[in-house]
Amino acid sequence: QVTMNVGVAHSEVNPNTRIMNSRGIWLTYALGVGMLHIVLLSIPFFSVPVVWTLTNVIHNLGMYVFLHAVKGTPFETPDQGKARLLTHWEQLDYGVQFTSSRKFFTISPIIIYFLASFYTKYDPTHCFINTASLLSVLIPKLPQLHGVRIFGINKY
Amino acid sequence: MVLNMTEGPVKKPVNGNGCCRTSNGVKPGMNGCVKNHLYQQHSYCSSDEKSSHICHNGGIYKRPFKESFEETPMLVAVLTYMGYGILTLFGYLRDFLRQWKIEKCHNATEREEQKEFVPLYQDFENFYTRNLYMRIRDSWNRPICSVPGAKFDILERVSYDYNWTFKYTGRIVNDVINMGSYNYLGFAENSGVCADAAAEITLKYGVGVCSTRREIGNLDKHEELEKLAAKFLGVDAAMAFGMGFATNSMNIPALVGKGCLILSDELNHASLVLGARLSGATIRVFKHNNMQSLEKLLKDAIVHGQPRTHRPWKKILILVEGIYSMEGSIVHLPDIVSLKKKYKAYLYLDEAHSIGALGPTGRGVVEYFGLDPRDVDIMMGTFTKSFGAAGGYIGGTKELVDYLRTHSHSAVYATSMSPPVVEQIIASMKCIMGEDGTTLGQERVQQLAENTRYFRRKLQEMGFIIYGNDDSPVVPMMLYMPAKIGAFGREMLKRNIGVVVVGFPATPIIESRARFCVSAAHTKEMLDTALNVINEVGDLLQLKYSRHRLVPLLDRPFDETTYEENED
Repeated sequence: QVTMNVGVAHSEVNPNTRIMNSRGIWLTYALGVGMLHIVLLSIPFFSVPVVWTLTNVIHNLGMYVFLHAVKGTPFETPDQGKARLLTHWEQLDYGVQFTSSRKFFTISPIIIYFLASFYTKYDPTHCFINTASLLSVLIPKLPQLHGVRIFGINKY
Repeated sequence: MVLNMTEGPVKKPVNGNGCCRTSNGVKPGMNGCVKNHLYQQHSYCSSDEKSSHICHNGGIYKRPFKESFEETPMLVAVLTYMGYGILTLFGYLRDFLRQWKIEKCHNATEREEQKEFVPLYQDFENFYTRNLYMRIRDSWNRPICSVPGAKFDILERVSYDYNWTFKYTGRIVNDVINMGSYNYLGFAENSGVCADAAAEITLKYGVGVCSTRREIGNLDKHEELEKLAAKFLGVDAAMAFGMGFATNSMNIPALVGKGCLILSDELNHASLVLGARLSGATIRVFKHNNMQSLEKLLKDAIVHGQPRTHRPWKKILILVEGIYSMEGSIVHLPDIVSLKKKYKAYLYLDEAHSIGALGPTGRGVVEYFGLDPRDVDIMMGTFTKSFGAAGGYIGGTKELVDYLRTHSHSAVYATSMSPPVVEQIIASMKCIMGEDGTTLGQERVQQLAENTRYFRRKLQEMGFIIYGNDDSPVVPMMLYMPAKIGAFGREMLKRNIGVVVVGFPATPIIESRARFCVSAAHTKEMLDTALNVINEVGDLLQLKYSRHRLVPLLDRPFDETTYEENED
């Protein structure tokens, strides 16, 4: 797609599509999750299982909000709003599935889930919460759900 | 009507020329270039380690071609993302406060009576404008109140509500060194030969033309300009248009149409992109200055033809620029000319920034590489940058220019150039060519080359990351972090230097930069002052990221994705 990009230094129509492939963003994301975990660990009231469950839940909540709930771009794009109704996940790489950043962001909540299950010693309550949270962030990433809005939630 | 460009002048490629497969994939010695009789091995010699990249092709490049695009240091990239992340979170917070009326909302909203209507303003699309751009808005749109030569005057403004509104204090900041104007040869002046000539012509012809070229607006001055431009470029004929942007966007549709293929560089200017879009041709984008990418696209195009019918393409047009103004890189013209001859494509060269600025006598990028101007099918350029005027031109064979005179939208519908502007161009062009009897033009061209080399060398020695070719007068200096964009602009203005800064989303997210444009009007003292100030600000803001580790040019990731305009 090539359109009129006034005053820009690239011919990328929607910079949101390339941002997750940029140099260093995976590292920043991993560091961010690490920081979150350390901050939660420093709170004296929470035990280790609770902290891991909280890390998992907060991470998945953040990922859901920023990748699957917020639609469009925070800047004006020259393509007359083709991506206005698409979430960030759907915009990645212009909708091409199974690119490396998509794989990375699918695998990372799974890794956090494994770690959380281990550190909570597979306790049923924690397991239930963690699994529900993981599913809420994995299901929207399926290619079959690209552009799908269940019950019309978040459609416009 | 399809332009029937004859294939006569293009020679068939000589096949048995000792071609060895080079790492570039480009067959050496196939360019048929008239002046290049020094055929040597086209050796891509890089330095030993993988991380250096000095591209020193011995064969068709007669001089060292040094470009550098040093990669972002990882720590800086992480900090940049954190910066944008924090700004985004605070943006959400402020939007929340504004929505719940805890904070005053300054931007345009609907009136109370229209609140139930369909929203007029897309809130989220202005998120960055509201929360990032507004914070550092005072680095742009600064009002200038003198001619933008080597120094200019700025109206001072102050804001009491964090850049939502500006008030003029009434003071004028005098003699700010101008590092942002495209004033490469220093012709932006209000006194001197060019200005006097333009003033005289205004008294004779007036300012307005009040017609298009095809009706009553064709002055003898226009004819004179076109003959002079053709002589300057070394082509058969040229045609001038009133606006540089319109030259591209109105003439590409006249040259290509549906059924043609346009191969355009990744970083092409908006005018080229718009012209390509308007023409209705299929557009494929190749990686910036990457000859492997271009060759792959050419091969695919010729082998597979048009997408569904597999018929051959009517025309293949390669769109490139001489100097890319945001990267400071110079096009690999010898490679492109050899590719174009091998695959029989046409070449459209946009010399907006490079005409007057490159080459030993200022004839542009074609002279810089020592190539034949007849190898470039369509030579386009603008008079805005080096000539200190406005407008654009297209040069080529006589048939091409005659065709454009009748078929270009600009010629038929747009008003022709104003007489004083035409005279400014004629006077400055004569000065550069030396036809006014002085060596002033030649001195300016040499001064620009010296200034460029000096400025770039000094900045690199200081430890800043500079993008681009060593000979390009456009010098982008990397800033990376969003806060430093605003800080750099402001600190430089405090110390009386005017610069242009650019950030996301106009650049990739981790590559915000300040762009300096070196001019022949800058004396060495001015450059030294500017360099000292940049050094000081660089220490203050910690901008000296360079580790003198150069990145291999052809190692930039070249993945299989090509972008194609949808056919409908």
